[in-house]
Amino acid sequence: MLSRTGIPSADDLAGVFPSEERLKAGAVAVIECFERIPCNPCATSCPRGAIRPFEDINDTPALDVEKCNGCALCLAKCPGLAIMIVDESWSEDRALIKIPYEFRPLPEKGDIVLALDRSGTPVATADVISVLLNKATNRVPIISIAIDKSLIKTVRNICPAPPPPTEDASIVCRCSDLDMNDIRELMEQGYTSVDEMKRVARLGMGPCQGRNCVPIVLGELARYLNKPVADLSPGAFRPVVKAIKLGELAKSAKGNE
Amino acid sequence: MQKTADIVIIGGGISGVTIGYFLMKHGAKNVVILERDYLAAGATGRCGAGIRQQWGAEMNCVLSKFSCEFFENAADELGYRSDIEFHQGGYMMLVSSQKELEQTKKNIALQNSLGINSKLLNLDEAKEIVPILDTSSLLAATFYNKDGHLNPFHTTQAFAEAFRRLGGMIYTDTNVTSITVENGLVTGVGTNGGHIATNTVVNAAGGYAQQIAEMANVELPLYSERHNILVTEPVAPILDPMIMSFSLNLYCQQVPHGSFIMGRTCADQPRDLRITPDSEFPREMAKTITKIMPRLANLRMLRQWAGLYNMSPDHHPIYDETPVKGFYVAAGYSGHGFMMGPATGQIMAELILGLTPTLPWQRLGLSRFEKGDLIHEPSVV
Repeated sequence: MLSRTGIPSADDLAGVFPSEERLKAGAVAVIECFERIPCNPCATSCPRGAIRPFEDINDTPALDVEKCNGCALCLAKCPGLAIMIVDESWSEDRALIKIPYEFRPLPEKGDIVLALDRSGTPVATADVISVLLNKATNRVPIISIAIDKSLIKTVRNICPAPPPPTEDASIVCRCSDLDMNDIRELMEQGYTSVDEMKRVARLGMGPCQGRNCVPIVLGELARYLNKPVADLSPGAFRPVVKAIKLGELAKSAKGNE
Repeated sequence: MQKTADIVIIGGGISGVTIGYFLMKHGAKNVVILERDYLAAGATGRCGAGIRQQWGAEMNCVLSKFSCEFFENAADELGYRSDIEFHQGGYMMLVSSQKELEQTKKNIALQNSLGINSKLLNLDEAKEIVPILDTSSLLAATFYNKDGHLNPFHTTQAFAEAFRRLGGMIYTDTNVTSITVENGLVTGVGTNGGHIATNTVVNAAGGYAQQIAEMANVELPLYSERHNILVTEPVAPILDPMIMSFSLNLYCQQVPHGSFIMGRTCADQPRDLRITPDSEFPREMAKTITKIMPRLANLRMLRQWAGLYNMSPDHHPIYDETPVKGFYVAAGYSGHGFMMGPATGQIMAELILGLTPTLPWQRLGLSRFEKGDLIHEPSVV
């Protein structure tokens, strides 16, 4: 599973999560680094020696959970965004987790965001407690969110909550000049698949062949139909991959080579 | 899904929706159209979309003239909220050999006698209408300004919406899985959404008409063959008419949006319902089209696709009740089903409702194959 999809299983996680006791005791790092690669900033950044010095630069980190106090310095240094801090002692019913987050726009303190599991599926909502971004964080934004304690082994990322649909003249399909209002109007008329929108409004039929608009429309269709994107058809992709002049094609025809 | 219907039409392409519309228009009630995907997802949405009346067989002339005149008034009759994009820029048929010229003269005489005022053009006249045409390999051309092309998806939608307004019901994403027959009489249609009891079923399944017929143990003399099309990037209008040549084996049009759409018949195409496109086709197409319109060499192809021609032994449609009572067939257009749509609708309404025939469909029945009374069409790509 891990090697094929990049998503660690419960067994994989059991190998890197501190014990239940240690989790209850307070902030601690969880390092999801499964692949032997030449990379060691986590070990060199830890001021307490909680991540054992590497014998070989390809080593995967070994954390001494008794030395670790969850300071998050390693989190900011890990180029793979593989480290998070979990603090189960944060409140009576909720835990605080700190994650590196490199998307824009950044959430703000007080926002309510979607909490995602390791496959990117929303599993709950979370309160943003703080957003740290400075020299000390190595310019990596560190987002602290509060989540239900039962989810500390589930939640690994966040996504801004989708805004309620409004008038939106953002261009969706540049080739055929369709904006979001056009797409929503098509959906209201009953055209609820990419293929139908192609035929009725030429969505995705221009030079880019749907590479830009289709993902956006799939997201909008998923919201409208209340289905996961994975259940929707992206429509038929047709040859050729890149536009090619008829003159060039003619040259490669039999008798013309 | 409803449990009963007076008439069930299988297929939501141009034929299904025109049959549905004309049935309701002529007083039928409780008519249902079943489409396994979305409307026009099959051959209709994949076709070259030309509308021509220049044929070599009287039957095709008459059916296409009726259809073309219907399309001219379709906006008013169907009350469609969008545009079916009917562009009457004419059809120009290119003539490249003496033999073709002789056939062409016969065709024009026939067409003129039926009120289709096509004419023979010399090469200067042809070039005046299509300045980008390289006439060096041609002898002459014919032209009829009432021919043209329209948008298959919008046209299907227009009929479908008019059909619904008259009270018709359309089920999309609905697969027909069985046809029930008792004592030689059709009694219902099974689908993945439920069973509909009915004594009248119309097989308008286009490329899949044989498969539908087999569900009622009816064998039809039809097969489906893959045909390919390509489309280019859109450019400013430079080609008004549809260009067609039988000896060069091509048709080509520029749609109102600016793209060029072109196709030809390729050898050795599969007949197993495959519609994955043929990689040889774009090269052959490009080679032929750049010979007669060299400027198109700079135009980029964006996409190619394929669809099914449902072929009958004489390249004319079959409109008939099958040996199973109440089970009708409208199929076998051999590549011309879209342009014949309105005629198909009118004919099937006359046939099913027992109206006085206004079109000569009695000759288009299944018995013509037993009697050997085939209708020859010399002018097809």
